[in-house]
Amino acid sequence: MTELRQQIEDVIREEPVALFMKGTPEAIMCGNSYRALNALHAVGAPVTAVDILPDPRIRQELSAVSGWPTIPQVFVKGELIGGADITEELLESGDLERKLDEMLGADRERVVKTVALELA
Amino acid sequence: MPAMEAEAIRAILADAFPDAAELSVEDRTGTGDHFQVTLASSAFDDLPLLDQHRRVNEALAVPLRDGSIHELRIKTKGTA
Repeated sequence: MTELRQQIEDVIREEPVALFMKGTPEAIMCGNSYRALNALHAVGAPVTAVDILPDPRIRQELSAVSGWPTIPQVFVKGELIGGADITEELLESGDLERKLDEMLGADRERVVKTVALELA
Repeated sequence: MPAMEAEAIRAILADAFPDAAELSVEDRTGTGDHFQVTLASSAFDDLPLLDQHRRVNEALAVPLRDGSIHELRIKTKGTA
């Protein structure tokens, strides 16, 4: 099995838009995860969601990788965008859509999927 | 986990951002663990939003880590 940290880094690097959240898009467990997901939906972003709740080590390793202490965390093409507040602010200013257009193209696929990390 | 007074968080931020032009901390739920921070500082001039939030998170690293702050909402801006 791949180390947890490596799995997290792989998701960040390989997925167009990665959202580390509490719960899943079908069963959101936190208002801030909901805010971030909604902002991403609003600009038609593809979303690869990772639930951090199954094991506290996920959050620990994620924050070590990103240097960001809170959940949710949004990454576009490997780059940390921020948490719910920043994602919402960028939505309101139009910068979120511009960024996604620029990095993923305007005709991006709007697929929402969930990745479960393997835990030892 | 220990609850915190909004004033205690405000004091930490006032220390970390002595030049703050605007600084307020609101206990959103009245339970001492969900806070809204609003902070304007010249330290944020020309600093990307992500780094502005990083600075606030760094200032509050201890209460964030030990769980006394369960949720932190941040609104920052420069003064320019």
